[in-house]
Amino acid sequence: MSTTLLLARRNLARNRIRLLVSVGGVALALSLTLALDAIYAGVANQLTTYIDRAGADIWVAQAGVRNLHMVASWLPDSVTAEVRSIDGVVEVTPILYSTDTIAAGEERAVAYVIGLPAGGAMGGPWDVVEGSALVRRGEIIVDRAFAEKAGVAIGDAVSVLGGEARIVGLSEGTASLVNSVAFVAFDDFRAMRGGAPVVSFVLVKLAAGAAPDAVAADIERRVVGVTAQPRAGISAEERRLVTDMSADIISIMNVIGFVVGLAVVALTVYVATLARRREYGVLKALGTRNRILYRVVLVQAVLSVAMGFLAGVAFTGLLALVIPRTGLDLELSISAASLAKVGSFAAVIAGLAAILPIRQISGLDPAIVFRRGAAI
Amino acid sequence: MTTVTLDVRDVTKRFGEGDTAVTAVRDVSLAVEPGEVVLIMGPSGSGKTTLLSMMGALLRPSRGTIHLDGTELTALSEGRLPDIRLRRFGFIFQDFNLLSALSALENVALVGELAGLKPSVAREKATALLTGLGLSERLDFLPEKLSGGEKQRVAIARALINEPALILADEPTANLDSRIGHEIMHLLRGIAREQGRSVVIVSHDQRIRDIADRVLWLEDGQFKDMVTMATDPVCGMAVERERSVSAERDGETYWFCSNGCRAEFLGTMGRDGQDLSTRAKGLIHDAAARLVRSLGP
Repeated sequence: MSTTLLLARRNLARNRIRLLVSVGGVALALSLTLALDAIYAGVANQLTTYIDRAGADIWVAQAGVRNLHMVASWLPDSVTAEVRSIDGVVEVTPILYSTDTIAAGEERAVAYVIGLPAGGAMGGPWDVVEGSALVRRGEIIVDRAFAEKAGVAIGDAVSVLGGEARIVGLSEGTASLVNSVAFVAFDDFRAMRGGAPVVSFVLVKLAAGAAPDAVAADIERRVVGVTAQPRAGISAEERRLVTDMSADIISIMNVIGFVVGLAVVALTVYVATLARRREYGVLKALGTRNRILYRVVLVQAVLSVAMGFLAGVAFTGLLALVIPRTGLDLELSISAASLAKVGSFAAVIAGLAAILPIRQISGLDPAIVFRRGAAI
Repeated sequence: MTTVTLDVRDVTKRFGEGDTAVTAVRDVSLAVEPGEVVLIMGPSGSGKTTLLSMMGALLRPSRGTIHLDGTELTALSEGRLPDIRLRRFGFIFQDFNLLSALSALENVALVGELAGLKPSVAREKATALLTGLGLSERLDFLPEKLSGGEKQRVAIARALINEPALILADEPTANLDSRIGHEIMHLLRGIAREQGRSVVIVSHDQRIRDIADRVLWLEDGQFKDMVTMATDPVCGMAVERERSVSAERDGETYWFCSNGCRAEFLGTMGRDGQDLSTRAKGLIHDAAARLVRSLGP
């Protein structure tokens, strides 16, 4: 193996520009796939932030509602008390929820609007960086990024749910690429929606040691017309929704990344082999077995792709660090599954890229080294 | 019993079929002894390269047999030939054909490693060979940094690392100037003599005839006229055995460029006791003096 590795390494290092093109091409192609995966994973993370940070162990919704994004959930007021009576439940907070547009001057942004009851223990903002964490009637807490973009501050008014509310607090970590989260008073929300005695979700806090799955099942058994899910369950459903929505785009970009990477590596390894065809002929004439030469080509392809993969991961990692600092509400999350997927792509690319050069070597007649001026 | 390193018997190589068939080599036979240097010359298209390729197990003859140290190469399967080439042949090419990405040392050691030597042993052996060939200061140089003569020395070291029985050289002096070419050929002959390796050289270069034990002329795929070279032991000139005078001493035959050298070798002395070279000098001196006088003032 040392001979193979030596030849492969030296062949690669001999033409640094070609190596750079090869590694750069693979890095960019794989970054394309990796970055897109990371963006969608980041968006999924952001979308589930509210679910993950609301403080509830179990989410109780209208029967059949299993996530937040693009859904409406309406439960009778009475459900709150029914849920509270279930064993293992120590606290409940009913919230109202709707996807709406918040407008401030020319700036309009989609937001999850949450109606919070006075004194509610769950469902409120978790990181208020300016102003109050409590909302009373006529008040609203918005994401700081939205406020900055809209040019509004504490005390200014924004339009929400068909009315107006005055900003009393700015929260952090409540914005994503898709939307932000805004908090209004429960009574305002209910009034703006016609005053019906309903809630959207009942957030449940469990007693220490209570099993979320068991309690959720118990709630579903004993309270009519509800779906109860532990936090992890509703969070996973929300993520699945993002994945389902983005699957086609990710698949297309995966194919593009794969094809570009394959084309770059195949071309550079092929050209590198072509340029050394005479030397491969000499090695064959000297008695080197074909399988050793095949390995040299394969190792060259693998090294190129491995370097490209590492460069691609480093580049995407850099993007993941830099992008959140640019003010974009974008998070890049590089997952192990994504690394494994792109790594598999890279391995397949290396294998496929080596096929043509290997065929070329296999057809090379070693006797040709004695033929002067032969185009070998 | 005579030991023969390479035994080529009635070898024919035909390319193509039917009316378009071309016979490149026709019923050629050749036996090369250990330590013998054979030079094959001939015009372009005479079949030299085809013959060399067949002797090097790179091309199968259409007919005939080739034995190397008793092993019939022509009977071996394709799969076994690379190993034979690697371990029992040394190849030297016109264009040196060193691997451009490897240093001089790596070029040589690589072939040893391919034959199964441990990397450290291969490097040690390659270093010794290159040092022996005067390249101790060039071990880590890439081929592009070496002169033509140095490259060919590296190629010789590469050909020697697996201690082959036979070295095949294809136009080894074609890309070298006259002095370096001659040096390289003498080096090769020395190796053949000292290590008992047989060397077959294909070349157009008339200047290297004197290093060969035998010169063969290949034309139209056949050996036309076999010329065996010898070195005149008196004046050192390369002579063709068949066209020169010879003498025997102590059971060995010697060949000379002239009767004068033969006589001197046999110890024939002038009547006045002067040896032949002294007499020759005197005769030249007298002739020169006569020439000067005849020109007059």
